[in-house]
Amino acid sequence: MLLRSFAVQGSWNYRTLIGTGMAFVLAPALRHVHAGDAERLRAAVARHAELFNAHPYLATVAAGAIARLEAEGAPPELVGRFKNALRGSLGSMGDRLVWLTWRPACALLMVALLLGGAPWGVAVAAFLVSYNALHLWMRVWGLNAGLRDGLQVARALREAPFERLGDWAGSAGAFLAGLAAVLAVGWGETPGLPYTALGAAALAAGVLLGPRVRIVAGIGLAALLIAGVVLASNS
Amino acid sequence: MVPDVPILLLLGLLGGVLALDGTSFGQFMLSRPLIAAGLAGIVTGSPHAGIVIGVLLEALQLAVLPVGAARYPEAAPAAVAAAGAYAGAAVDVPVALMAAVVFSMAWGRVGGTTVEWLRRTNVGIAVPGDGQRVSPGDLERMHLKALGLDFVRGAVVTITGLLVLGTLLETLGWIPFQEHWTRPALALSAAGALASSLRLFGRRRLPLFFAGAAAGLAVLWLK
Repeated sequence: MLLRSFAVQGSWNYRTLIGTGMAFVLAPALRHVHAGDAERLRAAVARHAELFNAHPYLATVAAGAIARLEAEGAPPELVGRFKNALRGSLGSMGDRLVWLTWRPACALLMVALLLGGAPWGVAVAAFLVSYNALHLWMRVWGLNAGLRDGLQVARALREAPFERLGDWAGSAGAFLAGLAAVLAVGWGETPGLPYTALGAAALAAGVLLGPRVRIVAGIGLAALLIAGVVLASNS
Repeated sequence: MVPDVPILLLLGLLGGVLALDGTSFGQFMLSRPLIAAGLAGIVTGSPHAGIVIGVLLEALQLAVLPVGAARYPEAAPAAVAAAGAYAGAAVDVPVALMAAVVFSMAWGRVGGTTVEWLRRTNVGIAVPGDGQRVSPGDLERMHLKALGLDFVRGAVVTITGLLVLGTLLETLGWIPFQEHWTRPALALSAAGALASSLRLFGRRRLPLFFAGAAAGLAVLWLK
């Protein structure tokens, strides 16, 4: 189940989201629990292929808990209600920790190292090790917690250090954002006060505009590209 | 420039694998633009070109959040295409770096659109019908078919991007470009995009951002 969890989003779709993926992860457990009763097995597979969503790294929490409930012979209605109750929190907890703080902080570390002069291999290794340390721990911890606690897995989720980790990653990320942004200005290799002032303005625009600055940058670069081609053609 | 057919196929393979890593399988984040473009640079024999374009794309993509069913650009195939085409053109064409970055940002949107198409297609090929009981084997085949389709999609997006950008760079190569704008403009765009990631961590952490900026100034001064 752990290895299959890496492919839980493999059939992401707009009707059941990762429902088919969750049934794919659960298939070995369902085969074991319903061995010798093909009809019950097919019914269980169909039930678990219904609508489900979770952060992919925390989907193992649900998979472990559901496998335990199936092994204990829990009624399908109870398992269904349990899945519905769990999916919202597994999504929001994972999104907040991984996508919102951990991944950007690790990526900023990689960019800052590279712009600071580290070789590409070192910067990439630092990113992959730091990022996947949490990633792999979440998958393994989630499966163990689900299998161990079953219906009571919410307590394990409350006691997990996700919020502290997110807070720490947020602080590290904010520091690294300032560091990497200034190093990026330096990468421009243009001495002089006007360029330095433009660099400060770029940082201010980034802080004030947030992710919208990406659209502004894209339009600006495209405009510069066209202007450069037109001016060069006319000169 | 458009790479030779064996390199084109290798880059397509790389784009397909990294597209899988983006969502469908693994999510080890080998699909980050800096890694994807660096690997593409290695495949084409110009790792430096891949790294230069990779770090710019990484900065510009950093604050994009892949949450749930939200629409977002797909970075990896676009980064492989941009790095592959740029690596062939880097020496001869000054306009190539900026054109490759702009193209990659736009091509990421195209990749994102194909992801939406895949997710709609998966409804037909990977979801059991209402009330339909399926064996685990049947369900596994449906799931693996969707995975295979995502790989093919990633490879096609990568190869198409390489062909389009490669042809574009060959055309632009004939035009003398105002080269001196390129590097500062890209650096400032990257700096702004990196600074924008503070939004993810919360503006209350602005003092930490300033501390990082001060550390950055110290590093630049030491260099």
